[in-house]
Amino acid sequence: MTMNTSKPNPGNYRGNRDDEYVPLEGGTSFSNLIGKLLRKPLSIFHELETGNLSWQIHGVLILVAVVCLSVFGFVVGTFSWGSQLWSAPLKIVSGLIFSALICLPSLYIFTCIGGLEARFSSVVGMLCSIVALSSLLLVGFAPVVWLFSVSSTSTVFIGFMLLTLWMICVGFGFTLIFRAGKAMGMTNTGHLLVWCMIFLLVTVQMTTSLRPIVGESDSLFNFGEKKFFLQYWSEQLQQATD
Amino acid sequence: MNWTVQPIQNAIALCRGDRGLLADWIDAARKGSIRCCLLLITLGCAAYGFTVGLRNGWEMGAYVAIKLPLILLITLLLNGLLNGLLGLVLGSGIGVQKSLQFLLVGVAIMAVILGALSPISFFATLNTPSSGDGSGRYAWHGASLLMHTLLIAFAGIVAHARLLQYIRDFADSSRAGTFAFFAWLAGNLFVGAQVSWNLRPFFVSPGLKVEFLRPDPFNGNFYEAVWVAIKNIT
Repeated sequence: MTMNTSKPNPGNYRGNRDDEYVPLEGGTSFSNLIGKLLRKPLSIFHELETGNLSWQIHGVLILVAVVCLSVFGFVVGTFSWGSQLWSAPLKIVSGLIFSALICLPSLYIFTCIGGLEARFSSVVGMLCSIVALSSLLLVGFAPVVWLFSVSSTSTVFIGFMLLTLWMICVGFGFTLIFRAGKAMGMTNTGHLLVWCMIFLLVTVQMTTSLRPIVGESDSLFNFGEKKFFLQYWSEQLQQATD
Repeated sequence: MNWTVQPIQNAIALCRGDRGLLADWIDAARKGSIRCCLLLITLGCAAYGFTVGLRNGWEMGAYVAIKLPLILLITLLLNGLLNGLLGLVLGSGIGVQKSLQFLLVGVAIMAVILGALSPISFFATLNTPSSGDGSGRYAWHGASLLMHTLLIAFAGIVAHARLLQYIRDFADSSRAGTFAFFAWLAGNLFVGAQVSWNLRPFFVSPGLKVEFLRPDPFNGNFYEAVWVAIKNIT
């Protein structure tokens, strides 16, 4: 890569990003898949659709997600220390994997309705990519979260900040599967948009179901008291502003 | 050209928008370029920071001279990984190392501008009553705060406008470069505000004592303070 030192000529380095639906180079190693996820993510979907390495790719993507979410969860846990140091990563990892699992059937059906003639393993790969890319970006935010967790005293502030960061990160994941869907021949992406909203709602509700992820509590879980996340967050906000 | 002994020529070249110099720095990833940027940031921000703190005495001037470059460097450090990941994910092709180099160059340009403005700031400080004088001390404190905020904002805007041109040229596409730039900017502003909160005081409000850090630098955050201030007003 070189810089154009005379007259700017944007776009002369790599061309259209959606031309990246090319065979995966460099194998399915941990570091290579992280690099490809960030630089040429569509090559992963090409490999999933045409190659024989799909289950290896799924395994590595899940491993990336688990490692990244554990690191991020640990940093989140430093807000309260104590048992949250291990329970926050545990809840974040298990919550996100559970959310992904219960959303997998609907993703497959919705992509089929959208005209995608992909293998089931490719759709699993799409879901794994969303989770892995989001987790990777969350690790990028970890130093920022650490700064605020050691400075802030407000659970509500940290909670809303983490929700915002999650929405930013998962937004990149959603963008990726839209690109992948189009590259793989999806004709109608409206259904995928609906699925993205559902996945986002499920993950946000999961933060309420597995509460407290931020802040101290006597019990590890609070399954007894069922609440919708909007009600829970409005209560928390009300308490903080009173 | 020896990059380490010619920081002033390099600073001028950067301000003029010498793309050849930047291309050389970014592509060759010279160690000397990072050292040069760090030197410019330290000198420029320290000179300006000294004039900010000087209103509250030499001691505060020295403190702010140390803390102003620190804010920028700590912010870049905390956001380094994130900026690189965002650069890649947004399709600019700019990774962790290069994003850090770009932002160092941007901050160095800002530091050069601030350094150039420091004699004016020094003159203004000399003509401002000290923070302990008279009944108008709150008004002078406010005026000083406003002046420095405007000057720092001006330097930041000019430097980042220049950086945006560089990034657009360097990125895989102009559009992706623009997205990456604004993502970095948003992240750096968000974190920079908090880092400056942790490293306060800089302007020392009337009635408060001069000190390097507050006794509780990690108690509370910038955004909570803004929220409390809004609540107090309403």
